[in-house]
Amino acid sequence: MGTDTDSRLSQFRKGVVELAILALLHRGEAYGGEIVETLGGHPGLAISAGTVYPLLSRLKKSGVIDSAWRESPVGPPRKYYRLSGTGEAEFDDMARAWAGVTEAMDDLLRNGRTR
Amino acid sequence: MNAPEQEPTEGLSPEALELIDTYFGRVHGALLVAAAGECEDAMDDLRDHVLEELATGAGTSADVTRVLAELGPPEVLAARYADDTPADEPRRLSEIDSVRLHGKVLGMPYDVRVPNSDRIASRWWNPMDPRVFVPRVFGLGWDINFGALAVRVHLVRPDDEDEPFASVPDAVITATLILPSLLVAVTLAMMAIAWPILPASVPSHWDVFGRPDQFWDRGWLVAFLTIVSVGPLAFAGIVQLRRRIALNRVAATAVATFMATLALSQFFQTTSYVHGAEGMVPTFAGIAVAILLPFVLLVVLSRIGRAAEQRHDLHKTTKKESV
Repeated sequence: MGTDTDSRLSQFRKGVVELAILALLHRGEAYGGEIVETLGGHPGLAISAGTVYPLLSRLKKSGVIDSAWRESPVGPPRKYYRLSGTGEAEFDDMARAWAGVTEAMDDLLRNGRTR
Repeated sequence: MNAPEQEPTEGLSPEALELIDTYFGRVHGALLVAAAGECEDAMDDLRDHVLEELATGAGTSADVTRVLAELGPPEVLAARYADDTPADEPRRLSEIDSVRLHGKVLGMPYDVRVPNSDRIASRWWNPMDPRVFVPRVFGLGWDINFGALAVRVHLVRPDDEDEPFASVPDAVITATLILPSLLVAVTLAMMAIAWPILPASVPSHWDVFGRPDQFWDRGWLVAFLTIVSVGPLAFAGIVQLRRRIALNRVAATAVATFMATLALSQFFQTTSYVHGAEGMVPTFAGIAVAILLPFVLLVVLSRIGRAAEQRHDLHKTTKKESV
């Protein structure tokens, strides 16, 4: 039972993690460790460095995000990520789709519970 | 480790082969970063499929271009594969894999497929995969993912390089071969020098207390150490000559360094016995050095790659600011 729930959760998460990263970068650029830390602060997402870095790399390959090394105010230079033009459009699409899904699900779950 | 390729590539022109290599090099590069390793099995199958398709025709460059065009752009193909791979749970892939040549026995991973440079590279240096111990490239057990180890000890960050070692100057990557070559040369020279003083029968195995419990002819020892050191070096040389992607070339050199160091330490273990010393200090020291040398090599090259990326980006920023 526990394993079933775990694998179901992981399926949910897979689709969500990408949107979470895009949402974070939509707010402004961030470096890898910062992304891991911020998303890690949301236990519901259960995101780890092992998930974030390969995904960042994949998003960069597909042109959704850009990265560049920049001097950091503290410590050594860091690789900062930001949304590209296509990334912004992609984020808008995904966010809209997500809002539709959550609205529908909230409605269904609420009705299911109150019945 | 010393049998580089097994594909039915006969009949294909060098240009046709190069087209295939370039294509799969790009798919592999994109896959490595997209799926945290483990995808190379699917890629091996795909490569076989391409070669089978080509076997029915003349195998000209035009045929290759046509077959590869059907697969689509390498990066898109890699992204499609990566989508099917649970990047956040790399462990699961081996669990559901039913191919008998690799899998798990009593909870321990095994793999008896002929190693290739892609598989070696994705296991030995994958800083984006947090697992330090990954299924062994050949045999039973685990290999060290030096990339994960380097991240753990804060020597590199997982995303330091967009593609591992891709920004390292080509000459530097070729020059890495000097390290295992020197080790092999030293091993061969020392065996030649020591030959007259070696007894006819030398230990081939030691018990847990460090006492020899099996012996073999000194000729077998020399032959064995030659094969296990020269074989991986030859393999690394071939990977370099075939101009594989930087990661594969560096990883093959790291493996050759590892094996050459182990061979040298086994030689020292034998000579220390011949000189009457007890214990297995040379073996244990050898294992430590055999792990340390490839680790240092990989980390240094990763740092060089990172520095090149930084120079490129930071230089661009400074130029923009000064405009």
